[in-house]
Amino acid sequence: MKNETMKGLLTPGILARRTALAAAVLVAVMFVCSFIGSERISLKAVFYTAPDSTTVNPDHEIFVRVRLPRIILAAIVGAALACSGVTFQALLRNPLADPYILGISSGAALGATIAVLGGFDWTLWGRSPIAVFAFAGGLAAVWLVWSIGRMTGKFYITGLLLAGVVVNAFFSAIIMFLTSIAKSQQVHATIFWLMGNMVEEDFLVLWIGTGCIAGGITALFLISPQLNVLSLGEDDARSIGLNTTGIQTFAFTIAAFITAVAVSLSGLIGFVGLIVPHAIRLIFGPDHRQLFPLCAIIGAAFLVGADTVARTVVAPAQLPVGIVTAIVGGPFFLVLLIKYSRKVHWYK
Amino acid sequence: MIKVQNLDFWYTPESSILKGASFIVQRGEFLAIVGPNGTGKTTLLNLLSKTLMPKSGLIKIEENSIKSYSNKELAKKIAIVRQEFVPVFGFSVIETVMMARTPYYGSIGFETGTDRKIVNEALEATNTNRFASRTLGSLSAGERQCVFIARALAQNTPILLLDEPTNFLDLKNQVAIYDLLKAAQIEKDKTIIAVTHDINLASQYCDEILLLKGDGSLLHGSPKDIFSSECIKEIFGVDVFKGTIGNENFFIPIGKYTKKAH
Repeated sequence: MKNETMKGLLTPGILARRTALAAAVLVAVMFVCSFIGSERISLKAVFYTAPDSTTVNPDHEIFVRVRLPRIILAAIVGAALACSGVTFQALLRNPLADPYILGISSGAALGATIAVLGGFDWTLWGRSPIAVFAFAGGLAAVWLVWSIGRMTGKFYITGLLLAGVVVNAFFSAIIMFLTSIAKSQQVHATIFWLMGNMVEEDFLVLWIGTGCIAGGITALFLISPQLNVLSLGEDDARSIGLNTTGIQTFAFTIAAFITAVAVSLSGLIGFVGLIVPHAIRLIFGPDHRQLFPLCAIIGAAFLVGADTVARTVVAPAQLPVGIVTAIVGGPFFLVLLIKYSRKVHWYK
Repeated sequence: MIKVQNLDFWYTPESSILKGASFIVQRGEFLAIVGPNGTGKTTLLNLLSKTLMPKSGLIKIEENSIKSYSNKELAKKIAIVRQEFVPVFGFSVIETVMMARTPYYGSIGFETGTDRKIVNEALEATNTNRFASRTLGSLSAGERQCVFIARALAQNTPILLLDEPTNFLDLKNQVAIYDLLKAAQIEKDKTIIAVTHDINLASQYCDEILLLKGDGSLLHGSPKDIFSSECIKEIFGVDVFKGTIGNENFFIPIGKYTKKAH
């Protein structure tokens, strides 16, 4: 009887099993995708060391210098966006929230536009001005929205959402103004970058990005029991002993930071932060202690897969990965929604 | 024990909700807060749970000012069941009740065997264990109310605050909730403070009544001392039939179209 009542509660054992399963899926996806591409490479050739070390092994070069960095990049960006989506949905108690809802996208877009129009040619830690400006612009916009939202007082969720809408609209207007006075070549560069671009990165940038994102997701995982309680609403959460303001500020800062890192690495990739959290929630339940590890891993696998499609479907040309995530992700999500939502009752 | 001294509270300075309010709730007492709409019953509950801060005056929980408690410490003293709630994300009953144990979690963020035992008792006491794995959104309002009472019980606090716990409930469940609260009072020596509009249930179950008059002042005493036809007429502005069964008084409001008993 007692076991029957406690059924459905998350235990460390269940969490470990599900995480291991998801991790296996991710490894498999990364492995398979690294051998798919416009240039055929073979597993044997990649790890073949020529007796004469001066000979260049093209398969090995493609694998290490092109495929691997790109797959790692897609994985960390996918993980960051999915976990950031989970956090914003929890903070705003709104299933429709995504990582960009509070202004990061328009702030980053404005930053990128300014960088392109400014025609800068310096780099910062190997990052282009576009990436640096997008990072700063995204954080500045989200900070602005947060400050305005907190000023609206007790019902700050509505205040935040409204501030996000207004700031997004305002920045979009400035972007449109800037692009209307810019050269079409510059406009094209901006738009292409913003639609999600996965350029091969050098490994130092990748490791820094991985460190920031992995650290952020770990921090979010550590406050996941508190984010569960926050779903009851702010007053009830406080009555259960939560330092609500502290948790909200912390979670918000971390989520904004990893989103800005992801945006500066790869532009604006939509849908990952919305559909991955929902898919995981629909299948495994809403407990944040499992949402973070599972969303990180499945978000990574999803974006690796989407990017593989993006770089192969019209090869040798490449699509922005944001188009693939929307086209593949949208219908897939609708199927999940229709299949499971009656069971879940999350809008009531 | 809860001690309230010279409590002042207003939303706008022109209209006081509480003016110099002082009262004591003894340990193990069942107190009902009653009064017309808009007189500040929920506000008082929010003050007692530190959701709102008084403009001046003192609230003491077991000899210490409520201000000196951190949220976590206070969550081990006071549990509250509020009126309005909109569930999101499809948490199940058992998951929701287990959240009450969060202030007791260690650093690993998972419940222990003790937490499970306490949650199980709370589910059994409220008879919510029969739908423990269902989501909150799929329950009726009355069932959901029982879940929130279970959550408050699982918080294992000496003090329980409830805002109109029998709202939306049918007659059987109204009595069931009050029976449940009375049992918690008697068996676990809990102090219970409930806001209610049902003066008849309050008279039957509660030891003390706190009547908010609407001008910032209040009346405090036993149900027999507080409730009379005259008092109800004065405070609520409605005529009542008074009936007596055994030792208990009952009041039925008389409206313009109420069928006269005589």
